[in-house]
Amino acid sequence: MSTNPQSGPERTVRVVIVDDHTIFRSGLKADLDARVDVIGEAGTVEQAIAVIAETRPEVVLLDVHLPGGLGGGGREVIAGSAAMLGTTSFLALSVSDAAEDVVSVIRAGARGYVTKTISGKEISDAVIRVADGDAVFSPRLAGFVLDAFGTAPADIADDELDKLSARELEVMRLIARGYSYKEVAKELFISIKTVETHVSAVLRKLQLSSRHELTKWAAERRLL
Amino acid sequence: MTTAVQRPVLVRSSDRMIAGVCSGLADHLGWPVKFVRLGMILACLAGGAGVAFYAWLWTMVPTADESAKRNARRPASPIAPAVSLPPVPAPGGGGAPAAGFRPGTGNSRVVTTDDAGPLPAAAGAPTVRGSVPVGGPSAGPTLDRPASGVGSIPRGGPDSTAEPPGFGSPSAAWNWSSSGDQGTWASWFTARSIPYGKEILLGAALLLVAAILIARQFGVDVPLGTLIPAAAILGGAAIAWMQLDETRRAGLVDKTKADQAGGWVRLAAGLALVVAGVLVMVSGSGSWEQTWLALLASVAVLGGVALVLLPWGLKFWKDLETERAGRIRETERAEIAAHLHDSVLQTLALIQRRAGSEQDVVRLARAQERELRAWLFSDAAKESGLLAERIKAVAAEVEDSQGHAVEVVAVGETDMTERHEAMVQAAREAMLNAARHGGGTVSVYVESTAGSTEIFIKDRGPGFDLDAVPDDRLGVKESIIGRMKRHGGTATINSSSDGTEVRLAMPSANGDVGGDAAEQRTRNTEARNTEARNGEAKQ
Repeated sequence: MSTNPQSGPERTVRVVIVDDHTIFRSGLKADLDARVDVIGEAGTVEQAIAVIAETRPEVVLLDVHLPGGLGGGGREVIAGSAAMLGTTSFLALSVSDAAEDVVSVIRAGARGYVTKTISGKEISDAVIRVADGDAVFSPRLAGFVLDAFGTAPADIADDELDKLSARELEVMRLIARGYSYKEVAKELFISIKTVETHVSAVLRKLQLSSRHELTKWAAERRLL
Repeated sequence: MTTAVQRPVLVRSSDRMIAGVCSGLADHLGWPVKFVRLGMILACLAGGAGVAFYAWLWTMVPTADESAKRNARRPASPIAPAVSLPPVPAPGGGGAPAAGFRPGTGNSRVVTTDDAGPLPAAAGAPTVRGSVPVGGPSAGPTLDRPASGVGSIPRGGPDSTAEPPGFGSPSAAWNWSSSGDQGTWASWFTARSIPYGKEILLGAALLLVAAILIARQFGVDVPLGTLIPAAAILGGAAIAWMQLDETRRAGLVDKTKADQAGGWVRLAAGLALVVAGVLVMVSGSGSWEQTWLALLASVAVLGGVALVLLPWGLKFWKDLETERAGRIRETERAEIAAHLHDSVLQTLALIQRRAGSEQDVVRLARAQERELRAWLFSDAAKESGLLAERIKAVAAEVEDSQGHAVEVVAVGETDMTERHEAMVQAAREAMLNAARHGGGTVSVYVESTAGSTEIFIKDRGPGFDLDAVPDDRLGVKESIIGRMKRHGGTATINSSSDGTEVRLAMPSANGDVGGDAAEQRTRNTEARNTEARNGEAKQ
């Protein structure tokens, strides 16, 4: 894993952690490295919205499942902070592997999704990446995307939201296979920046596509 | 019908003369109590109708306390909004009952824990059904209720006014077919097939009867002596069988509700009809009058007994229903507690004892996580004969034995065949190698498409040189490459100092489809392998 070339080691990212488990919050705080500055914490939907509005962090580490609010969890926090989506990025963090949970926060506006079991270093990398405006895809999220959009590439002519281009498919496949962005770049003989562009494009498609199969798929699937 | 006005729920008031029925009713209707009481007394003079009405309300209407308790148990809203995503249209009410009783995923689970014990009527989307078009002796105005989360209550029962909004669903359970399962079933039924199918059928039958009667008026000779018993037998059988069918369907929606009382009532009705029909047929048209009299007498006796016992019966039934719901909830809780005890608590105890060994702790935690996940999220209906499931099982096994995390990502589905089994075995070998020699998490990616199935196993170990592996080491050459070749697939190994990736490919059953492509890729990978031969040989 590499840090983004633009983010020097001296740069710190201001982060708010939103999770209802105090133990997990303190553990995560201890795990994150020096590049990440935790400026706030919240345990419920209401608290999260208030803390985010008050501290205006660059990145919010957001648990998908949260008590409070109308029961919408992380999705609701993003909706409640919609005014700040321009300056604040959301990175979803979850133990749940259920496709509908993950896809629903991504579609609400989160810039990425990682599982809670990854190391502090990896989470820190992901935070930096999100702060730089890139998208963070875990292998599992890439798998969801491939499953939802299908593995057949789109025609060159059609640049709709409903299909991935051949290149995007390649990138997604490699990420699903466990490649880091750097490794993907090396494998495909492209720059890391290009990989990030492709991933961001996929994220956009995932967020905006009104593809019937996508919604149906997300609602039906209870993937492990 | 009055328009839907927000009325106070109908409960028996504490301001009472006898049982608080009249003042409760007055509150509900917004009339002065005096008038209601006067009306009730007058109705009593009219052949005792008032007595019956009063007794009915006494039994069926809960007191204010009971009602409050009941409502507190029910979650405020159906689970549908929590399950669906905002951009996704919410699954309709029909879907809600099914989801309510599964340990579903995520939000739905959280929201429904309170309601885990299936109340007789799931607080799903309120459904208003046109029920059997029999107008009971409805004395008062029929109320159109605001849909306020109260379980659906059928209209047009024996006494329309006796089904006020205050009725918790449990108390509605008595009503012929309108017990909880029927409520959910009805919405389910109307959602899937012709709405009001039963009503239409009944209407048709009534029209037929009318036609026969008219025909008789015009002097056409209709053999009623045979027709009526035959119709009775047919009707009885239909009722009984319909119930059987519904039980099965209700069972699909929610297994615990399959044996509800509505079913018994219908069974009894069907039985009585058939017996009566047979009786009449056997006794022959000669003694028609006699049979009729006997039947009338027995019905009168039965009716009298029913009239006397009805209030007790209903009361008893309601208690039973409440207790049953409580018991189901208790059972469910006990089951969860038992499972947590057997799994999570034991693992936590083990982890405390092995706190010194990091690898043991990680292994235990991973295994426990997997087990819990399978228990919470796994779909019982999901076939276990799928390749992805097999790979996940194998990965879990490797994870347990090697203490290394193995992450499986699967895209697409394919059924297991003998060749896929070989592929699974090869993948297992590759995972074992990766976990043994590689470092960190092992990533497994399974992709099944119409043309072929591919599995990638990647680790982040120091890599190795395939050619440097001695021939007597069977692991890689035999178990992976050889095995795949024997079954018509290919295996390529791509190793560098950044890690090793094993790629297994198997064209689908009848195809040499992709054979060329696979060969092409093999060549490519081989070329890359020669470049990458700077890796150290593995131990």
